[in-house]
Amino acid sequence: MKIVVTGAGIVSSLGFGKEVTLQALLDERSGISVPEILGTAHTEHPVGEVKMTTSALAEYARVHAGESVSRTSLLGLCAAREALQQADIADVSEVAFVNGTTVGGMDYTEQHWLDKEQYAQAITALHTAGASTEHIARHIGQFAYTATISTACSSALNAVIAACNMLRTSRCKQALVGGAECLSLFHFNGFRSLQILATEPCRPFSANRQGLNLGEGAAYLVIETEESALQRNVPILAYIAGYGNACDAFHQTASSENGEGAYLAMKQALAMANLSPADIDYINAHGTGTPNNDASESAAMLRLFADQMPAFSSTKAFTGHTTSAAGSIELVISLLALQHAFLPANLNWQEPMPEAVMPNLHTQRAELSHVLCNSFGFGGNDSSLILSKHAHSLSEQTEPVDYAVVADVEVDAEADYKQYISPLQARRLSPTLRRLVIAAYKALEQAHCNQVDAVITGTDLGCICYSVTLLNQLTQEGEDALKPSLFMQSTHNTPSSLIAILMHNNGYNCTYSHGKDSYEHAMKDAQTQIQLGNIQSALVLGFEELDETWQQLETSVGKGHAMAARATIITKR
Amino acid sequence: MNNDLLKQQIIEALNLEDLTPADIRDDEPLFGEGLGLDSIDALELFVLLDKQYGIKLQNKEEGKQVFRSVNTMAAYIEEHRTK
Repeated sequence: MKIVVTGAGIVSSLGFGKEVTLQALLDERSGISVPEILGTAHTEHPVGEVKMTTSALAEYARVHAGESVSRTSLLGLCAAREALQQADIADVSEVAFVNGTTVGGMDYTEQHWLDKEQYAQAITALHTAGASTEHIARHIGQFAYTATISTACSSALNAVIAACNMLRTSRCKQALVGGAECLSLFHFNGFRSLQILATEPCRPFSANRQGLNLGEGAAYLVIETEESALQRNVPILAYIAGYGNACDAFHQTASSENGEGAYLAMKQALAMANLSPADIDYINAHGTGTPNNDASESAAMLRLFADQMPAFSSTKAFTGHTTSAAGSIELVISLLALQHAFLPANLNWQEPMPEAVMPNLHTQRAELSHVLCNSFGFGGNDSSLILSKHAHSLSEQTEPVDYAVVADVEVDAEADYKQYISPLQARRLSPTLRRLVIAAYKALEQAHCNQVDAVITGTDLGCICYSVTLLNQLTQEGEDALKPSLFMQSTHNTPSSLIAILMHNNGYNCTYSHGKDSYEHAMKDAQTQIQLGNIQSALVLGFEELDETWQQLETSVGKGHAMAARATIITKR
Repeated sequence: MNNDLLKQQIIEALNLEDLTPADIRDDEPLFGEGLGLDSIDALELFVLLDKQYGIKLQNKEEGKQVFRSVNTMAAYIEEHRTK
């Protein structure tokens, strides 16, 4: 079978839509500026900001003036509509919507946190990653299926990959895929506390790079089977030739020196596409502009491509690092490069790095056949995908496969954690994360195995305890009060990557965050991966922690969550 | 500067709940071979200096010098504290 791209939509600091984006890339016009909408006092850090207030954006997106909305959903809605329109899809009842986000409705939550009791209804309705997806969906139509992936900065690319796997196992024929993320004071100051924000426009892959500029935006693609596109008689924009997902399993916020996760993800993508390093014409690198990422990614690219290094660039000097949306924003940029035959510039570059890899400095014409797009996230959730101008066949597996659950452990006390990890390893783990660690190791014991091929987590609220503490620090003590060790563990993929780090597991790693369906979605992904023959076994984690403040908010509007620290191992029977 | 007080503050900031001040030697390297802390712990120490002593370090390089051991931290605080 073949997977084709038939629609694309994008919004970022470069503007609304593909045409404006294309023109900015060709003109080498960056969207990086002083923050004006975000409302930070730290204007020394440039950002890639969409220059429209949230209420203006709501009007632009034709959302009713009285409706409570998050900026993430509005950005998403604009890009999603553009993608569906290009693909000529008006009725989405047969379309799966797989969305990537992490910030979700955090912008709304932080703005109303001091009066949270009064806004409990809207906060609890908008805050989560899954709520963003449902909000976008509600304004478009009744999708056949909706899911949300939250692997921090690789969320959007992992959403594309997850939907490709659904197409290959006949779970759907068409999908709207990508991600959305707005700027929030929460993650802007979180990144500040990690001291990785530059005080100048970022210079990816330059020896004198200082750090990254955060950005915001959204991008979606419509992907479908070639058969479906031909039947509908819509133009094919590109083919998806291959992809990979691996875990660096090194550190929550740092990449390993040799870029193991990035290397494995790119290598898998090449192998799946049946291409050799010399076939790749352009790499849209993750290239955040932090000293650590660019060194690690360069090491990974050198390991794989050696003396056949293709032209590459990071387009984050155009858009800023749009975090969970970066994967699809850069995939749409890669698609534009492929369609319009050019290599995008790597702006602001000044000095060669000791690694001796040189990015493509200026936008220039080039016929491209195969383009590889990298997207990496906190916790080492690294993914890579190859877009191609030429038809590529992918393996499919429509026959059902038999699974066996060989371990299923739920843990409701954390006292025993020292049997499994040292106090130093446990120093940043919340009580529920400690329970999850115990559950994961007990599941391995129950299954009589030392390792699994994949770690997949389902969590609705993610690490809500740390998020609430950070929200309190931000709104009560100010922008300088955020604790870096709490922020680094506040993303939804913390449980999945923590277990991978502890178990030295470089395999497939993903996190689903879609309300009460989260664990089921994770389980379904494990089954899909087994069905495709990618893995033989998976550790599926269910994680939900309780925070007193958040619980009170939920209770006041008749909602609620149950605590969960569950580890299941499923294998092919 | 009382080293034990500083050690207690480090233990709290880094959530090293199983350690007591007596477990941290005054001249022991805090990072790498010694106590085994990582780059995120270093960022927490930036926050500690700011909150407790009103000291804003300029960058990570400066942090590396200051955070070599409890002794070097204490000496720096003594000289630069604003509260």
